[in-house]
Amino acid sequence: MKLGLVIDLDTCVGCHACATACKEWNASSPVSGPLSDYEPYGAEPSGVWFNRVRHYEVGEYPASKTINFPMSCMHCADADCVTVCPTGASYKRADGIVLVDQDKCMGCNLCAWACPYGARELDDSSGTMKKCTLCVDRINDLRLPAEERQPACVLACPTHARFFGDFDDPASEVSRLTAERGGYGLMPELGLAPVNRYLPPRTLAARIEADDAKALLERGLASLASPVIRR
Amino acid sequence: MKPSLSIIFFTVSSGAGLGLLALLSLADLCPVELLPKSALAAGVVLGLSLVVAGLAVSVLHLAKPSNAWRALSRFRTSWLSREAVFAAALVPMASIYGWVVLADSAQALRAVLAVAVCLLAWTVMICTAMIYASLKPIRQWHTRWTPLNYLLLGHWSGALFLLLLASAYSGDASAFAWLALGIGIAALFIKLGYWRAIADDSTAPTIERAIGVREGARPPGMTVARARLFDAGHSHHTFLTDEFGFSLARRHALALRVAAVALGFVLPGAWIISGTTDWRLGLCAALLCMMGLLAERWLFFAEARHTVRLYHGDAKA
Repeated sequence: MKLGLVIDLDTCVGCHACATACKEWNASSPVSGPLSDYEPYGAEPSGVWFNRVRHYEVGEYPASKTINFPMSCMHCADADCVTVCPTGASYKRADGIVLVDQDKCMGCNLCAWACPYGARELDDSSGTMKKCTLCVDRINDLRLPAEERQPACVLACPTHARFFGDFDDPASEVSRLTAERGGYGLMPELGLAPVNRYLPPRTLAARIEADDAKALLERGLASLASPVIRR
Repeated sequence: MKPSLSIIFFTVSSGAGLGLLALLSLADLCPVELLPKSALAAGVVLGLSLVVAGLAVSVLHLAKPSNAWRALSRFRTSWLSREAVFAAALVPMASIYGWVVLADSAQALRAVLAVAVCLLAWTVMICTAMIYASLKPIRQWHTRWTPLNYLLLGHWSGALFLLLLASAYSGDASAFAWLALGIGIAALFIKLGYWRAIADDSTAPTIERAIGVREGARPPGMTVARARLFDAGHSHHTFLTDEFGFSLARRHALALRVAAVALGFVLPGAWIISGTTDWRLGLCAALLCMMGLLAERWLFFAEARHTVRLYHGDAKA
């Protein structure tokens, strides 16, 4: 098995619901929790997150696009974070999930240095490394209804931009989406074989010329003005 | 990378101790007596002290030191684990070696122990270097220059301590002066070569590579050359910005490089060339070298740029 996530950059609106749902579920999880917050009500709140959403502008205006970019552990097939770990706290399960045994970690940070994606964060309160568990305590919990045995981030996504499944199964939704939409992994040249896949934006962006932009603006102003005038 | 003071002290101090132990045991293996046994024993004590002080301080880097003993358990895969195992083997081995030297008995055993100490010291140095050299996300570390740097800088500072011992305990230290000078020149060239190598950022990963613009994270149907961070998604510092966000102004880097070369190489080298055998000046030279290497090691961290920086908006790493 090769469990992982597919993230659709076309439909992601960058709302951070996946990140907050992740924090909510995992903070109280016996596998990874708590996810400590530092000065949560102070001037500079900070804390441990497994999933962070960043936003990029790609291209030059007007031919540019905002890409919302959620990132969590890629559950790499050749996970260097596991290789470098001196204590054996970092390990990879047979189903592909990379986990940290909180009882063994000595907080040396080396795995965080070895991860190109910034997927690992040290929890200052426990002195141990924390990371995405792919909600291992949800996806295998038979007490939950089958449709809820998915990571919290996938369930929370309001635009259905996240998918969870087994990449080793060619018939799975994640394999199918990756094949159909040209899903790609991040920085494969580093040789860690990341499992998570990103689906490129698919809508064809109109190439906005200067004249078109003016027309668009006028049309936009007109549509704004019309209800006021009608009233 | 955030310069972690405990690791900087650890690598500099242990590096010097390991270099001293390696050179000392090699000198002991020479058929002619280069050093009196009192100097050898003092050298073993000094080398071990430097190594143990470094190891002790390195524990301060750990967020949960109570689990530090577990670092011995992943010898087969982790360079950090290997470093811990070989260091744990070196300390008792070198202690026994020092005792055998002092007792002046069992010449065959002494030679075997000298070989073992030398090989272990080299192995620990290589393991330390490989911890950094094996990290693929950090271009400035993931290079063959890194192990060469650690090996030669350790031997250079160790050679200065050895020369200090030779001038304190025996009349003629010229052999050790030449040895130290040779290693020092080689170490300086390797350090300059390292700085030259990391200055070439033509193969450095870019923000476009990081988010996969070529693969598809771009306006469809368009070839796009550039991407930039619009918003990092967090309002204040995070573990990632604390650990990887450290930036060093270029003029500060230059000033520190000059200080590292002046203190670490030029002044100790001048002491060797001057030919004075006053051990107090020798101690000053060795300590100045250590200060220079602390600056050098601080730069090794401060100038290293992790790929996480790309996701936080850096154009290149």
